Amino acid sequence: MSGNPGEAGSPHLLGNAGSPSGDLRISVRTPRVITVERLSKRFADLQTGGFTALDDVSFEVQPGEIFGLLGPNGAGKTTCLRILSTVLRPTSGTAFVAGYDVALHPAEVRARIGFMSNNTGIYDRMTAWEMVEYFGRLYGIPEVALQERITHLFNRLQMNNIRDVLGSKMSTGMKQKVSIARTIVHDPPVLIFDEPTSGLDVLVARNVVDEIKSLREQGKCIIYSTHIMREVEKLCHRVAIIYRGKILAIGSIEELADRYHQPDMEELFFQLIDAHEEQLKLVV
Amino acid sequence: MSWRNVKLIFLREVLDQLRDRRTLFMVAVLPLLLYPLMGIGMFQMTTLFSEQPRTVVILGANDLPALPLLNGDRFARTWFRISTDADKLRVISDANPAPDQPPLDKAEAESKARLLERAQQMKQLIARRVLLETKLEQAREAKRPVEVLNLEAELQTLTDPLGQMFHNSDIQVLIVIPRNFKANLERLRDELAQRGSAEKSLVSFDYPRPVIVQNSADEKSVIAHNRVTDVMREWERSLLRSYLRESGLPEHLPTPVNPTAIDLAVAEQMSASVWSKLFPSLLVIMALTGAFYPAVDLGAGEKERGTMETLLICPATRTEIVLGKFLTVMLFSASTALLNLSSLGFTGRYMASLASGGGMAGKFGDLALPPLASLAWILVMLIPLASLFSALCLAFATFARSSKEGQYYLTPLLMVTMGLTVFCSSPGVEIEPFYSVMPVMGPALLLKGLLKATGPATDLYLYAIPVLLTSIGYSLVALWWAIEQFGREEVLFREAERFDLRLWVKHLLRDKEPTPSFTEAGFCFLVILLLQFLSMKSMQGAMQGIAEGERGLLQVRLVLIQQLALIATPALLMGVMLTTSMRQTFSLRWPGFGRLGCAMLLPFALHPLSYELGRSLEWFFPKPPPGLVEALKSLSGDSVPLWLLLLALAVAPAICEEIAFRGFMLSGFSRGGKVSLAVALSSLAFGIIHMIPQQVFNAALLGVVLGMMCVRSRSLLPGIAFHLIYNAMGVLHGPLGSRISDEGIWSWLFRHDQGALRYQPVLLCLAALAAIGLLHRLTRHPNAHATAGKPDPMSDDGQQSRPLRQVDDRHLLNDRQKLLIVASVKAPK
Repeated sequence: MSGNPGEAGSPHLLGNAGSPSGDLRISVRTPRVITVERLSKRFADLQTGGFTALDDVSFEVQPGEIFGLLGPNGAGKTTCLRILSTVLRPTSGTAFVAGYDVALHPAEVRARIGFMSNNTGIYDRMTAWEMVEYFGRLYGIPEVALQERITHLFNRLQMNNIRDVLGSKMSTGMKQKVSIARTIVHDPPVLIFDEPTSGLDVLVARNVVDEIKSLREQGKCIIYSTHIMREVEKLCHRVAIIYRGKILAIGSIEELADRYHQPDMEELFFQLIDAHEEQLKLVV
Repeated sequence: MSWRNVKLIFLREVLDQLRDRRTLFMVAVLPLLLYPLMGIGMFQMTTLFSEQPRTVVILGANDLPALPLLNGDRFARTWFRISTDADKLRVISDANPAPDQPPLDKAEAESKARLLERAQQMKQLIARRVLLETKLEQAREAKRPVEVLNLEAELQTLTDPLGQMFHNSDIQVLIVIPRNFKANLERLRDELAQRGSAEKSLVSFDYPRPVIVQNSADEKSVIAHNRVTDVMREWERSLLRSYLRESGLPEHLPTPVNPTAIDLAVAEQMSASVWSKLFPSLLVIMALTGAFYPAVDLGAGEKERGTMETLLICPATRTEIVLGKFLTVMLFSASTALLNLSSLGFTGRYMASLASGGGMAGKFGDLALPPLASLAWILVMLIPLASLFSALCLAFATFARSSKEGQYYLTPLLMVTMGLTVFCSSPGVEIEPFYSVMPVMGPALLLKGLLKATGPATDLYLYAIPVLLTSIGYSLVALWWAIEQFGREEVLFREAERFDLRLWVKHLLRDKEPTPSFTEAGFCFLVILLLQFLSMKSMQGAMQGIAEGERGLLQVRLVLIQQLALIATPALLMGVMLTTSMRQTFSLRWPGFGRLGCAMLLPFALHPLSYELGRSLEWFFPKPPPGLVEALKSLSGDSVPLWLLLLALAVAPAICEEIAFRGFMLSGFSRGGKVSLAVALSSLAFGIIHMIPQQVFNAALLGVVLGMMCVRSRSLLPGIAFHLIYNAMGVLHGPLGSRISDEGIWSWLFRHDQGALRYQPVLLCLAALAAIGLLHRLTRHPNAHATAGKPDPMSDDGQQSRPLRQVDDRHLLNDRQKLLIVASVKAPK
């Protein structure tokens, strides 16, 4: 019903992604690149009248850290990440990315994140090179730097063989590579991956996970959402277990194991969910 | 806003569309091939097309005069303008076959006999019908109503079986020649030769005439009948000429005037007239279709292919994205239209040159292409058309979940546009001030006029200003709407859920909120509009057969019923069913004496202004239909007591219309937090419901005043008071106005013009000052401490995040309330 979140923001700072300056709030928030405070999101729903996809969620992510969002399908992971990428507006609560409020400065936020999910497809009628180049230009990277950057990315991701292949002719693995290149073309300080390996075969999934690992080593701040325990164990420093829009537990894998006396991540997950279901039954 | 981003998106989308085979086909290939192919098709049709001969049966052919009408089983070729047309009519007659005629084969003879038999069966009935009609004519002339009714009934009982028989008879035209027709004609000839000397009564000499029977509901019969009458007329003339000749009279006696017709249309005008008929409609339709397919691909297609979110997370704002897409759609819309036009133009010209060279009647002569100035005008008019359609299509396409759904939206859009173009291209419709500000019609009609004019058309150039200004305005509104669509989460992330009517109704009744939603308000308007439309027929029925004197009274009653049943009731019912707070929905709140007083004074200032504005704008609007003027007159007649008139035209509308438009609709429309938009929409709705252009304009203007009043006072009462007094002044203006003195000092304020009270400039200035003061007081911000009732979103105009929060808070509050109920905690009130 209401307008576009992008309109309210001041002109976004293209080209200097990751080096925000000046603002007092920014300097305060910089150590924690992502701050989510009491975020809620409700959707209208015909069947039930309203549906709370995200309920009072708070967490923080530091640079150089991979933060895992672990939860089953429909737990609210995608909604949470969509709010962080400013595609959705929160119903209540605030979220800061790289020092900018997602509700007030959406364009600044978008310039500083790389976002990849199942729903961020690539264009059928564009070649791999054109696709990455197009988004690089939208991020405002100067032309010379952009060409260098894309050449570098295509070498690193071994994509030179699909350089001039149209999106419609690519395999899923190729498309995923293009998506990764698109996500990191502007070298953003924050990266958000929403189930990047779902629907991929083992080989491609492994490549994606390796790529994300190498991004962590570059000191990026990464949020990684998945429902696959093994990926969390392999990749994440800290993890939040999310279920029915609520965060049930948050901490590093070791901490969680200690806290709930359960070394097996999968068991821990089911234990938490069962406990939550019990609690819900009591309330009703 | 970064134009760099807009340009980037535009270039990408154009490239994307150019790589799409379907779009290229629609935009470029189809127009280039379509018209030449159609031309070839038409050529082949004209050469291959042959008409089946139609059957004409002639009874009493032996009584035809000597001048031969028939030639075997055809009419004689002499009587046809195009002699080959004779073969299009097969004549079966009961004349004795000529001795030299070859005998018919068995099947033909049988069919001839069957047709003649059927004709014979009908002959008696036809003769009776002719007799009845003569009697009816006489009875009508003698004014014997009872006899007329009886004869009419008898005629009907005769016509029905006869019609059925004729329909089943396989005869397209039946000619019955009366007995002794030949003898009668010969007698006429003889009398003519002797100048009536044999009998003095030549002037009154009459005899039975032939009868031609056809069925005008059957196309074959109509075509045959037209041919037959042409033939008969030609034959008749020839007959008459021969009689005159034989009588030693001038042959041209029956046509003493016979003027010579000269057509001075030069080829240039001919072709201008052709283009002015074809180009505007084609331009409109092609600008729409050219916009639609790319728009669906750019909007719904992007969602479908899963790239929408990729685009949304890039730094470009949604406005930039929409603008980029809009420009792309517009480019394709304009190129489609232009390609179609040029293809049609060249094909048409080529076809015309073929036709004139090939011996066919060169009707258009050499079809010259329009001059350069006209081509430039086509380009100028194309811009507003293409931009309007592009923005509209993009909004629809963004709303659609899938390309398939998007395609569905084309039909209604195309239907409406087609309707408008058909209206514009109908002969005699020319640009007028009123049409010039209408969407689509303005550009189409202006272009029609410009293409038709062969010289400079100064009066038309003046129209270009309002046409362009309003068209660009409409395009901007449509574009804003498209951007709005793009900003809506529920539109962008609509899932392809199954629509379940039961579930939806349940949701409506269960998840009520204090005030109606935007959609519900829009729906309320549609319901009221539809009810108005449907009630027209029954109102018309009620008015029929009512004596002149009682019409006024009945009309007053009908207006009352209409107000109560069709305007107030739907709004109130929807309020009860769909909202939880009647008080908030219908702004039932005491506004304070100050505001109420101002609202009651305002009509006295506004009525003179709007009255004079209406009078000075009379030239602008099309003339109202005469029936309406009469109806209005019968209302103002003395037949209706004044109090009843005031009740129907002032009290009832004030309450009913305020409840619907400022109550339900305004609260619904202002839910999004955009009050200016809500006021604009509710006053537009208020205007549209008044149907007649003049009143639509007037009501929409007042709607703005009423809407602002209601929003700022958060009460319906000032509006009701204002509306009541304003309408009452309109009612009293006629009867009381004539009594007001315009002499002496009063002549500064009033004058009388044809019995109607008119206001003088001095009074108008005073009224304007008073109106400004009162409006200022009425639309002042409400006091800060009065926060109950509707949130005052006026202060939030422009900031989009806050009102949203407010709405959503209400959601949360509702949930908390629900939780409390679930936990069965009794909340103290």
